[in-house]
Amino acid sequence: MQMTRRAGRRAAVVPVVLGAAMVLAACGDGGGEETSAASCTNTIMVEDVPVVTVWAWYPAMEQVVDYFNENNDDVQACWTNAGQGGDAYQAFSTALEAGSGAPDVMMIEAEFLGQYTIREALVDLAPYGAAELEGEYTEGAWADVTEAEAVYAIPVDGGPMGLLYRQDIFDEYGVAVPTTWEEFATAAQQLKDAGYDGYITNFAPNWWAFVQAMAAQLGWQPFTYDSASTEIGIDIATPEAIQVLSYWEDLVDRDLVATDEAFTADYNASLVDGTYASYVAAAWGPGYLEGLSDADADAVWRAAPLPQWEGQEPRDVNIGGSTFAVSEQAENPELAARVAMDLFGTEEAWRIGIEEAALFPLWTPVLESDYFADLEYPFFDGQQINKDVFLDAAAGYEGFTTPPFLTYVYDQGTEQLTALVEGQVDAEQALTNLEQDVGAYAESQAFTVTE
Amino acid sequence: MSVQTTGGAAGAPPTERTARRRRGREADQAARGPGGSRAGSHLFLLALVLYFVTPLWWLVVAATKSNSGLFASSSSPLWFADDFSFVDNVRRLTTYQGGIYWTWLGNSFLYALTAGVGATLLALLAGYGFAKYRFRGRNAAFALLLGSVMVPLTALVIPTFVLLAEVELVNTRWAVILPSLLSPLGVYLVRVYTQDVVPDEMLDAGRVDGAGELRLFFQVALPLLRPAIVTVLLLSVVATWNNYFLALTMVRSPELLPITVGLANWQALSSGGAGGETLWNLVVTGAFLSVLPLVVAFLALQKYWQSGLALGAIK
Amino acid sequence: MTTTSTTAGAERATSSPHRTRSGRIERNRQRWGWFFLTPFALIFLVLLVVPLGYAFWMSLHTSTLAAGESFTGLANYERAFTDPLFLGGLTRVGAFVAVMVPIQLGVALAAALVLDTLATRLSRFSRLMIFVPYAVPGMIGALMWGFLYSPRFGPATDLFGLVGATAPDFLAPGTVFGSLVNIVTWQWSGYYMIIIYAALRGIDPSLYEAARIDGASGRQIALRIKVPMISAALVMVVVFALIGTLQFFTEPSILSNVAAGAIPVHYTPNLYAYGLAFSYQQFNYASTISFALGVIVFAFSYLFLFITRKRSGLNS
Repeated sequence: MQMTRRAGRRAAVVPVVLGAAMVLAACGDGGGEETSAASCTNTIMVEDVPVVTVWAWYPAMEQVVDYFNENNDDVQACWTNAGQGGDAYQAFSTALEAGSGAPDVMMIEAEFLGQYTIREALVDLAPYGAAELEGEYTEGAWADVTEAEAVYAIPVDGGPMGLLYRQDIFDEYGVAVPTTWEEFATAAQQLKDAGYDGYITNFAPNWWAFVQAMAAQLGWQPFTYDSASTEIGIDIATPEAIQVLSYWEDLVDRDLVATDEAFTADYNASLVDGTYASYVAAAWGPGYLEGLSDADADAVWRAAPLPQWEGQEPRDVNIGGSTFAVSEQAENPELAARVAMDLFGTEEAWRIGIEEAALFPLWTPVLESDYFADLEYPFFDGQQINKDVFLDAAAGYEGFTTPPFLTYVYDQGTEQLTALVEGQVDAEQALTNLEQDVGAYAESQAFTVTE
Repeated sequence: MSVQTTGGAAGAPPTERTARRRRGREADQAARGPGGSRAGSHLFLLALVLYFVTPLWWLVVAATKSNSGLFASSSSPLWFADDFSFVDNVRRLTTYQGGIYWTWLGNSFLYALTAGVGATLLALLAGYGFAKYRFRGRNAAFALLLGSVMVPLTALVIPTFVLLAEVELVNTRWAVILPSLLSPLGVYLVRVYTQDVVPDEMLDAGRVDGAGELRLFFQVALPLLRPAIVTVLLLSVVATWNNYFLALTMVRSPELLPITVGLANWQALSSGGAGGETLWNLVVTGAFLSVLPLVVAFLALQKYWQSGLALGAIK
Repeated sequence: MTTTSTTAGAERATSSPHRTRSGRIERNRQRWGWFFLTPFALIFLVLLVVPLGYAFWMSLHTSTLAAGESFTGLANYERAFTDPLFLGGLTRVGAFVAVMVPIQLGVALAAALVLDTLATRLSRFSRLMIFVPYAVPGMIGALMWGFLYSPRFGPATDLFGLVGATAPDFLAPGTVFGSLVNIVTWQWSGYYMIIIYAALRGIDPSLYEAARIDGASGRQIALRIKVPMISAALVMVVVFALIGTLQFFTEPSILSNVAAGAIPVHYTPNLYAYGLAFSYQQFNYASTISFALGVIVFAFSYLFLFITRKRSGLNS
């Protein structure tokens, strides 16, 4: 009896101690600090100075960060690769929602900035010296990162568009490289008639951004938006857009282009093994191609300007391109702003970025330098692709307004394009459906939709 | 969390097992025997084995190929290529990003074992408590427990993230281990098994002799519960090892990732990398190596889990 | 040693009144019951009940990009149950249940029954090989099948070429349903098979002898004796398959990386909730979808268990 009670009391402690021990141990684990040196992929070179956390997925990022750390004594950058694109944005959004865990400096593609500025998740960098940088970036790039007087991000790289093509395939079948879209369609047919086993290019149903850029070439401006107001203009199914999408629909129907999903293993293989004779690409395309291993050794790649529409004002368009933004969770916004501005703000950093990661700089000191213009790319057998193609394209790019729910637009775009290539809708229907879906979504998010 | 564990329990109570043993295995088998077409049965089994093994065979073969070898044009996917690159692949796996792959594998081991042991311990205590003590609110608590199996994970992730962020546990190992300590099915299994196997009389006898409750638990009940322990341990270890979604959301730093999330990252890198690096051979070899530990464990521990799953008939 | 009853202690009572003595033991027992439960209960409360409560709280609010957050009561649920994407996802997982569960059960049952009748080396080997896919993490299995379904990486082109046909596109909108069914069947049938097999092993073989004396064939024994006797295990397998399938997430999520057109963000309700939360930052509505899904899962599981209550024996 008595023993039971004593044992009972003693043993009563056990579950409580178990629970407490676990909680204590958990709190004692020093893992909560994300700026501790252990959680950086790069090495911190100067101790006892403030550390700014950076999330970015550029290739060769570590070298760029190392260079920064070596040359700055009063602040150090701590970099992690938190995922690519959508994955990183998901992690970032989660951390913002939870109130902690976001990095100080975040790599955000220019088109997605709106999704974060509307939630007031990004710090206006103008007070920290960013406003003075306007002259150091191209007009289009600067337009994409600013809203009125506020500067929400520092441009890093861009994606002006051009046409990368297999010279050897075009030569083999005796087809001239097209300079207009009309010629492009003819060339597609000629290649097929001459016995070419592949397709002139691929039209990916999961790459709505591509269609946007193609339509923008005709002056398509579907979205009017300004984060100061709750009005949003949505005008997607315009004649220009219908013309462009019908063009591609026609090529699909005539089996002149492939319809593989982009950015998969099969797609990568098709890019380099001659299944696609050309790649309508952004300036990060060459780097992408170079990174794909075991390309056909006899392949001869060249770059040419993007085909234009006959009789239309030639326009330059852009896909992708990224920036560095400072999140509102940054403890020291001023230092974070400095890191955002300086990481890719030196020539040496850009030398690394260009030669190791094949990035396309938007920073004019490098962009307009002879070094960059004259750069010969071994992948293109020494062709100076910047001078030939991309520099002009970058200079002519004027910016593109995107809504603050671009991910939704892309997902809906994918659905409509899939239906299009499956033959379930035609171009006009697809665009109208998209306009309705996006409009309904905007209204559900309490925007007022105007034309 | 281990809510996604589907636990199983159905089979022979101990008394019938001893009866069977007495009969002898051959007579036993003859009684079960079909009398019918053994050839037909064997063919059927062979077909099934082919179906289940071919993908794994593909994995083995693919792990021996280099990046170029993986593309079907150079070699048949189901047979080895001319160059046997397995060692090369492993070497590249070890050097890429400073051998982070092995860190990931180590993390998976750590999470699986820690959470597995922890979950088993908690499930044992709770299951025993449910089985042997009639306390107020027992049925309600048990119903709540069973209901928790049906909770979709997505509902829990954001709030759990917020909660852990409050105590600064996000992006730490605990963020993965703590939620994995919950194994409601483990509690259920232990309860059912305890009710079958640990007689109240034995416990009361112990109480009469003056043993404390904890001593009863450790010295009387636990030895009898060994099959249940093994089963719950296996289920929780496997569930944590396989976990993807939880680690994906809770953990950010590359050196804390388990193998599932790590490989998914490499996969994403290879598919969409701008200026990217294609790591297909690493992804495949990495997948192959990551599957090995569990497969080996299963093969080695056949005896235990086969008997363990045959516990606690639902009465 | 007394062997009679749980009130053994009461028999030792001498000085105290009978009722108080057992009452004190009762209370002591009650305390011990809760003590054993405490560590588990603690984690359960903190990491399940509390987050769930918070998720429910979130589902009662609406947050829009333009107007911020506000309390909207059950409006989100009304929206969810009239949302064609959510309802479409539910229909789809319903279709998965209708197709996948019978197939998995069928394969598992057939294999278990056959294995139960054989004791050869091949049968032992088969048992193991059929179970091994369970050792492959779901995410890696999906990754693998993504490769297997690819025209370049996978064996389909070769295998179909052997008979002179072209391999179908496994990841097109029309075929991805079947492809997913295949992945899950491959992954889980072995696991269910082992459970059923273990249950079969627990049947007393003397029953078979009796039946055989009466002239029953192998098939009749299988269908009339074995299957009914393991009905409890079968019910359990179906319930877990049901719950798992209604919450279908991992495989479509991984496969959508290679089949984004075929697997839109709202393919299954769980995937929809995930996309809403993590891609569109609509955390409130995402919580609503998760809860609505949970309610449906609960309702169906309960319904199924109720219908099979005599068979499942879950009466404790």
